[in-house]
Amino acid sequence: MKVISGIPVLDEMIEEIPEGKVLTYWIDPEVEGNVFAMQTLFTNLERDCRCAYVTLTYSPEVVVSEFNEFGWDVENYKNFNIVDLHSAYVGLPSNCKYSADPTNVDEVNDVLMKVIENCDLVVVPVSSIIDVCGESSIECIGEWCDFIRDKSSRLVFTFVSWPYPEKIENFIKVNSNAIVRVGGVHHRVILGYYYGVVKVDWKNIKSKAILFKLVRPGGVRAYIPKILVTGPYNAGKSTFVHAVSMRSISVDRLGTTVALDHGHLEYRGFSIDLFGTPGQERFDPILKIIGKEALGVILVVDSTKPETFPRAKQMLESVAHFGLPYVVAANKQDLPGALPPEEVRKKMYLPEDVPIIPVSAVNGEGVYEVIDSLLGLLTGRLWVSEDEPESTA
Amino acid sequence: MNMSYQIIPNVELKKGSNIMVYGPTFTGKSMFVRSIFRDFISRGYGGIYVLTKDSAETLMSWLGTGYDSRKVRIIDCVTKSMVGNVKDTDSVKYSTVMDLTGISAKISKFFEDFWRSGIKNIVVVFDSLSTLLMYMNLQTVFRFLHILTGRVKITESIAFYIVEDGMHDEKTIVTLKQLFSGVVEFKEDNGRKYVRFVSPFMQTEWREIVVDEEAVVVT
Ligand SMILES: Nc1nc2c(ncn2[C@@H]2O[C@H](COP(=O)(O)OP(=O)(O)OP(=O)(O)O)[C@@H](O)[C@H]2O)c(=O)[nH]1
Ligand SMILES: [Mg+2]
Repeated sequence: MKVISGIPVLDEMIEEIPEGKVLTYWIDPEVEGNVFAMQTLFTNLERDCRCAYVTLTYSPEVVVSEFNEFGWDVENYKNFNIVDLHSAYVGLPSNCKYSADPTNVDEVNDVLMKVIENCDLVVVPVSSIIDVCGESSIECIGEWCDFIRDKSSRLVFTFVSWPYPEKIENFIKVNSNAIVRVGGVHHRVILGYYYGVVKVDWKNIKSKAILFKLVRPGGVRAYIPKILVTGPYNAGKSTFVHAVSMRSISVDRLGTTVALDHGHLEYRGFSIDLFGTPGQERFDPILKIIGKEALGVILVVDSTKPETFPRAKQMLESVAHFGLPYVVAANKQDLPGALPPEEVRKKMYLPEDVPIIPVSAVNGEGVYEVIDSLLGLLTGRLWVSEDEPESTA
Repeated sequence: MNMSYQIIPNVELKKGSNIMVYGPTFTGKSMFVRSIFRDFISRGYGGIYVLTKDSAETLMSWLGTGYDSRKVRIIDCVTKSMVGNVKDTDSVKYSTVMDLTGISAKISKFFEDFWRSGIKNIVVVFDSLSTLLMYMNLQTVFRFLHILTGRVKITESIAFYIVEDGMHDEKTIVTLKQLFSGVVEFKEDNGRKYVRFVSPFMQTEWREIVVDEEAVVVT
């Protein structure tokens, strides 16, 4: 029986979770990533697979209600099993078919192996087990990984990446055939969530980050990030949006944008929506609305017109107010008298860490550097960092 | 908006502070943090309150009606384990004390909500860490707090965490203290209650306090 992840885009990438494999959802501690494993389980339950869900920090009743919250009526499926490690831990009797006392290693091992023999898919909260049973429990977890290799089942781990010792992280990395990272887009606060495959040993894939939202009911939904392109009147915002977009429209009257520019671009695995705001003052309210949904801001300035910088700065402040990361496109660099980026920085009193990219939007020069720079701010921390599990693809 | 806030006379808390509130039971710690919380809200702060002993309902009825409800967000770790199925609302989310991942994700979501509505001054109250330590080992709670205190620092918020005196061993308290920039200590002596502030840089005298249903007054 074929088992799939049930996660949008992910299934196209990894195709299936083959027998004998361990797939780990590697979850940022501030992100609700458990849903990924729940969605994987429910998708396969609906396809008549025998599934088991190991619970330790939630009671079986809470597990069912968590599934229900997403519209997944697991209790109506006879192939759904809960492996209850919770009740014994809090000193209550269990009424599940499978249960064990998590502080008793042999008992847990016995039950887990029985479950693996009888199910096509077993979801295990490995970090919760490590939390409750101590770091030595990784030996036990290792045994399950070995045990499953020649069985017709699969393990799906949820590993919440609390600041564990490296030894533990490495252990999980080595024992997982596939790792799907579920992370947050950090910018002081977490502004959005993404997932991406960082390792898979049964397919060759190109790594890709997908932003998602959780929908109740519904589960994991991929979505497209909105990037706001703003700047003073006539700075070149519309030109910029058209230059980077595969398809785009503007609502202009007499060459000035009265509603919005909208462009779409597929870039480095990201699917991005760009919104250009009108430059004239009376459109400030629109800017405010988009600012609430956007994930980042590109500020376009006409480098030949320092007299417009105060207005640009003012626009920047109103979006920075929402805590969004931004980069500055110093446009019209092809014109004589265009100020170089460092002059723009000085004249606009921008801090050193704000990226300012020289651009000529009409010629399409520098435009992708601007996108790169913003994506770097949004995801750099997670995708460039060295402690990232490595991709084997 | 002031950059700092006096919780007891002569003690100015900087933004980004994580403060432990430590003392025996029934010395007024909860009332103390509640009234601080209410003060912050009335000064325009967004507030996130994590409850492990009282329900959201209890806190809301204590807060009454005289506050801006858009500025208050609650994580209730009590109700769900008692009544089972409860629905989250925009301002109240339900979790359980053993579900540190859930609590962490919910706090982070509230931070995002506040920032996206332009509220960047945020106060967090955690009442109490002692309940977590009843269910989870010290290391696990420490890792959880490492993430939370980090978020408080990077967003320049202010947070208060209640810890009961007499429930934990010395090692637990010493380990936890590493995460905090200071401690508000409570004590009881001959039926009278006192409070002081201790940090690596300063220590105040014990000040007598009066605790009632409404507030804690430092005399
Ligand atoms: N030389 C030069 N001209 C540019 C460049 N980018 C834009 N322009 C010109 O500047 C003018 C304004 O460009 P738009 O893209 O319409 O500017 P906008 O910011 O969308 O303007 P509003 O929507 O009215 O605020 C047009 O005539 C463009 O051709 C550039 O890089 N170099
Ligand atoms: Mg335009």
